[in-house]
Amino acid sequence: MKEIVTIQVGDYANFIGSHFWNFQDELMGLASDPHGDPVFNSQDLNMDVLYRTGETQQGILSYTPRLVSINMKGSLGSMSSHGTLYNNDAPIASDVVTWAGQVSTHVSEHHKRNLFLQSLYEEDQNLNMANEANGGSTGSQREYQDKDIVDSLENGVQFWTDYSKVHYHPQSLYELSGVWMDLEEFDNYGIGRDSFAWTSHGEEISDRLRFFVEECDHMQGIQFIVDDSGGFSAVAAEFLENLVDDYTNTPVMLYATRGPGSNARLQSKKHTIFGDLHDAISFARLSSYSKLIVPIGLPILSTSKASKFLRINDEKPYHSSAVYGSALHSISLPFRMGPVRPTSNACSFSGAVDVNGVIEMLSGQGRQNMVSILDVAMPAPTLTGDNEQSLLENLQPLTPQIEEDVEDLQAVEYLTVHGALASAGHRASVSEVKDMIHAAFERSNMRPMFCHLSATLCPLPIPLPFPSIFGNLVGQRGELINGQLTDASRKGSLDVHSIPMAARLRSNSAILPFLETRLRNLHQFGIERGALGAPLLSSWGFGKEELVEMEEMLSKMVIALSPPQLSDSD
Amino acid sequence: MSLRVLNPNAEVLNKSAALHMNINAAKGLQDVLKTNLGPKGTIKMLVGGAGDIKLTKDGNTLLKEMQIQNPTAVMIARTAVAQDDISGDGTTSTVIFIGELMKQSERYIDEGMHPRVLVDGFEIAKRATLQFLEKFKTPVVMGDEPDKEILRMVARTTLRTKLYEALADQLTDIVVNSVLCIRKPEESIDLFMVEIMHMRHKFDVDTRLVEGLVLDHGSRHPDMKRRAENCYILTCNVSLEYDKSEINAGFFYSNAEQREAMVAAERRQVDEKVKKIIELKNKVCSGEDSNFVVINQKGIDPPSLDLLARAGIIALRRAKRRNMERLVLACGGEAVNSVDDLTPECLGWAGLVYEHVLGEEKYTFVENVKNPHSCTILIKGPNDHTIAQIKDAIRDGLRAVKNTIEDESVVLGAGAFEVAARQYLVNEVKKTVQGRTQLGVEAFADALLVVPKTLADNSGLDTQDVLIALTGEHDRGNVVGLNQHTGEPIDPQMEGIFDNYSVKRQIINSGPVIASQLLLVDEVIRAGRNMRKPT
Ligand SMILES: Nc1ncnc2c1ncn2[C@@H]1O[C@H](COP(=O)(O)OP(=O)(O)OP(=O)(O)O)[C@@H](O)[C@H]1O
Ligand SMILES: [Mg+2]
Repeated sequence: MKEIVTIQVGDYANFIGSHFWNFQDELMGLASDPHGDPVFNSQDLNMDVLYRTGETQQGILSYTPRLVSINMKGSLGSMSSHGTLYNNDAPIASDVVTWAGQVSTHVSEHHKRNLFLQSLYEEDQNLNMANEANGGSTGSQREYQDKDIVDSLENGVQFWTDYSKVHYHPQSLYELSGVWMDLEEFDNYGIGRDSFAWTSHGEEISDRLRFFVEECDHMQGIQFIVDDSGGFSAVAAEFLENLVDDYTNTPVMLYATRGPGSNARLQSKKHTIFGDLHDAISFARLSSYSKLIVPIGLPILSTSKASKFLRINDEKPYHSSAVYGSALHSISLPFRMGPVRPTSNACSFSGAVDVNGVIEMLSGQGRQNMVSILDVAMPAPTLTGDNEQSLLENLQPLTPQIEEDVEDLQAVEYLTVHGALASAGHRASVSEVKDMIHAAFERSNMRPMFCHLSATLCPLPIPLPFPSIFGNLVGQRGELINGQLTDASRKGSLDVHSIPMAARLRSNSAILPFLETRLRNLHQFGIERGALGAPLLSSWGFGKEELVEMEEMLSKMVIALSPPQLSDSD
Repeated sequence: MSLRVLNPNAEVLNKSAALHMNINAAKGLQDVLKTNLGPKGTIKMLVGGAGDIKLTKDGNTLLKEMQIQNPTAVMIARTAVAQDDISGDGTTSTVIFIGELMKQSERYIDEGMHPRVLVDGFEIAKRATLQFLEKFKTPVVMGDEPDKEILRMVARTTLRTKLYEALADQLTDIVVNSVLCIRKPEESIDLFMVEIMHMRHKFDVDTRLVEGLVLDHGSRHPDMKRRAENCYILTCNVSLEYDKSEINAGFFYSNAEQREAMVAAERRQVDEKVKKIIELKNKVCSGEDSNFVVINQKGIDPPSLDLLARAGIIALRRAKRRNMERLVLACGGEAVNSVDDLTPECLGWAGLVYEHVLGEEKYTFVENVKNPHSCTILIKGPNDHTIAQIKDAIRDGLRAVKNTIEDESVVLGAGAFEVAARQYLVNEVKKTVQGRTQLGVEAFADALLVVPKTLADNSGLDTQDVLIALTGEHDRGNVVGLNQHTGEPIDPQMEGIFDNYSVKRQIINSGPVIASQLLLVDEVIRAGRNMRKPT
């Protein structure tokens, strides 16, 4: 078993992460349910990769994510930064044991638990009561239905904690204090760099990461999710810089994410330059500290091809982050495939690989390209023989600014398919999946140089707090129902219980427009003589030399992917 | 807590409105912080929206916990936080001083005076006050053996503003001794060489100084000893893990044998490194009743742990980067980056190494060392917020001692300096100044009095009476401060109430800079961006 430690930096990253951990939590719940669907019970996923076993001071065992989450102070809503398990005793103002003089108490407005969190809390309470009463009746009846919970989340999610059903370790949630800024103001690299001093937070953040790393016998890598739309990319870059120093041989897989709309900044020329420079700098800084970077986040997700069967409201981070969270889950499955017990059925998965394996595969071969595109088929279509809805065609990008239909003979792909359905609604076996995919590649006219396929039987479970983002054609097991796509209604967790998924990382020259834009903008607005953005960059603390270095790095990335020039004149 | 004096989104206001907005913001922040000041101040318990608790009597911590929206207030807060970064203390004083400068100015501005005149007066007053401080400060000779008594008094003064007396007094010696432990002649004091560790302990509030080091992790092998005496300590930064990935895809190796051969070769390399460590252990420990402890900054995987355990070695992995330095200073030897550099001379020594387990938390004590230059302050407290508050207080105390040694001087506290400087400005400086600028000097001088006034106020005393008594004594040539219990003048020297010279200096320097900026607004200042370290 090889552990993964996850890091989430920034608001949107935590929205995505919250969904990601909900899936894990749901899977564990389903696996331990004796009456549950046996595909969830197959024991092929080793959760220890992502989770740690611990013990509270009261001696109660705990099982919590290996996670360090960083966010602005005040972004945890009704969740305590100590998490929910290791609660200290309830505080009383009178027990200030360090001061004999006056005490004044200042209570911030209490964040009320929403209906969902309330129901979780009551469940825990009932469980405790039931335990104490030695199996007595299970407490009071709830006055509300699951439907009420789903509705209240649909309309009321404000914080990522609002829909989280996971218990977090007290070391996991770090709040940045003393930034004194709204998220809207915290919107670019320079502000992040200015208002976040590594000297005053670094020690504590590093210690928290160390806490999770020290107990790993053999860490396979770090999964790093950052909201790179604003100041948090500076926070993440500082963090990464230190982390790479401390854990030299640990591969970092970086997802640079942002919600819909955050690219569409204010219209004025100045603001566009501002945004363009932010994007260029942020990307350059982040990629210089990771082994593999996956940019995620379409400017408009709702009408993108990836959302064909989904009904997303772009305004709601709760919605869009669910799609990205699902994709991240799929991508991470092969990192923890492996029988927990040797007895379990070895045929239910194939293509296990670790973080380093994926990184080497995608970025270490032939041409060195460390930027990958993320595609997803959500839900993955039924693997019928005829290709009315072919899986490969349904894989659509979540990475912005890429070219479509590029023929790239050196493309490398890493594809994971899980819970796929074969015709007639039965679950496709792993070998069926492999055969179908191979056949599909045979038929396809654009084949990558190499594709690694991982497959497992276990579909994506849809937990209760998952948003209602499924269109009318998605069935209860994620099968695509024949019929007319309509806008009529959204389906949510009460209608859809699980879905088959396919997700893919690909190293492909289709990413060139993304890279070229950043290179061009950095040059034109930041470096060129008389560049409009030069003063801005210097106020962000970047000297000319540093900028030129970044430019060189970006241009190397571009060159690595560009097709060889035919006429090399000068 | 949130502070929204005015709508921060208001874009551009006219000059006068902007000025008043600034004044109000400064006064608003002053109001929040002033009850903090001094040993009779109020401790604040902040309860967050989800019930999280913070306990603080420190201006710096309080500011960071607040959600400040007003751009002017943010600017002041940044100045105060910078004050703490630079000198480690005096944040509350900074905020109330700025607030008072603005308040005093308001009077004159309302009477029609141009802010520029006030600002000119501030500049003159500031320079005069800094010169006065040079005369007023009490020099302390440091030399090879610092005057421990004065260090104790400075530490005690600070600690008593944060913790109740008995607790503060208990910490005083700990703080002084830790700084003296890490001090090296002719070098600036690196307070990071004092580790501050904590343990949660239901019924205990206790702090002790460990001469040596406490690490927040333990060995990761069941067969390693939990307690050992006479230990050689190897401090190293060497990866003892096999860290190539094993890929099932079969993509990178042409065949399975080749892959296995690679894996085996890699493993052997790691084992070789472990064996070199074991060899060294066997060499130094042979025939001796001694033990061997490896503390590694990098990882150690289970097979390596096995080998080490079988050789009777205790091994800790993933030590903090800073602990590499601390260990060497505490135990001697040197940190090793490659097993090729291993020699007996690299090894440090500790009389006792033992592990302490608390729930899922483990601690390793490295104690009984010879001639340590690094040490650990270990705090026990019943909950996180209590521990955090004690930790803050200790940081203040350490800074106060360090400052004293480096400043080679201290300043009489309890308001004595502020009253003396005010009288000097009013009686001597003001008359040398032309025209209305005099009023700026006067405003500055009166603003200084906010410190004794607030100290008196927080002690429940009548501020008028106190100020009259204090200024009267000063005019008679007696340097006195405020007795917090009675309101009578006291001699801070006799009482041992001393503040840091560099802290006072920094307050006098930065307060008027910010106040002047706020007075000379042309339009509303958006949250000041590059204001982190104003000088
Ligand atoms: N025993 C005492 N009697 C009177 N005044 C005292 C006494 N001890 C300290 N003071 C005064 O209290 C002031 C320091 O108070 P305090 O430490 O609360 O605030 P600060 O140093 O300005 O800010 P902070 O410590 O919050 O960063 C100094 O002016 C000091 O002279
Ligand atoms: Mg102080």
